[in-house]
Amino acid sequence: MAVAERRSGDDRSVVAFCCRECAYAAADAAANARTSLPPTVRLVLMPCTGSVSPLHMLSALAEGADGVMVAGCLEGQCHYREGNFTAIDRVAFVQRLLKSVGVEPERCRMFTMSAGEPPKFVAAVKEMDRVIGALPPLERSHVAKAVA
Amino acid sequence: MPLTTRGREIICRVPGGVLRRTTGVGCEIARHEELCVGCGKCATNCPSGASRRGDLFDVGQLLDAPADSRRGALGDALRRIMRHQPDGPVKVPERVTVYRTVIYDDEKCLGCGTCVRGCPAAAIEARPPEAGAAPAHVTSAAEVRA
Repeated sequence: MAVAERRSGDDRSVVAFCCRECAYAAADAAANARTSLPPTVRLVLMPCTGSVSPLHMLSALAEGADGVMVAGCLEGQCHYREGNFTAIDRVAFVQRLLKSVGVEPERCRMFTMSAGEPPKFVAAVKEMDRVIGALPPLERSHVAKAVA
Repeated sequence: MPLTTRGREIICRVPGGVLRRTTGVGCEIARHEELCVGCGKCATNCPSGASRRGDLFDVGQLLDAPADSRRGALGDALRRIMRHQPDGPVKVPERVTVYRTVIYDDEKCLGCGTCVRGCPAAAIEARPPEAGAAPAHVTSAAEVRA
């Protein structure tokens, strides 16, 4: 993928894993208010950010996403008590994994917001889109799966 | 399980000199880290504290894991995006539970095989004591010394 092509801005993609109780509701409210989101973002509805595993985040990156964001409730306000704390630690773990193999850890980030903060969600998505846009493209090797 | 020479040496360093929760000692324990799923049952069941969960995770364990396992799937995804071989072990945050490398201390191990029986991934192997060893009715250090 040539860098010049990427400058057009719409061939990168960011996958956003959103908690149903807060971030997705904020996205919904932002959409109702006809606020436009960057076209690069793809929302994935999750019951809680605690259900996003490192495998979800790394698979998204391996299958074509240039960045992954996890958007959950404010700290201490998880509807399942501590799902967002689990997610914060898992995101930190994935960032360390990425760093150890030479990939920019900024490609995976955690955001927290409440359902009543659509502007905060839009700002988070734009921030993620800006950061990913500034990074070089993520090369993927198409190695055959190891034979079991 | 017969008590081997190694078992006799081991039983002398058991705190208090009496074995609890184990039926015998002296097996050689071999861990196959690439098959480990990180459940930590060996660390929970270990009567002597020889196996415990570490704070670090060796990224190479993901890349070596069998392809049909969860760790193998994670390793496959990592292999597709990585730019160089892993730098080394990474520090694991508190709430990440399964991606931890179990630390095994051979000096503390009694060779009882409790970890082998509890392992769901068959990642630990106990090699039985040699034939012709002393019988295992001895369960305290005092009896060994006697």
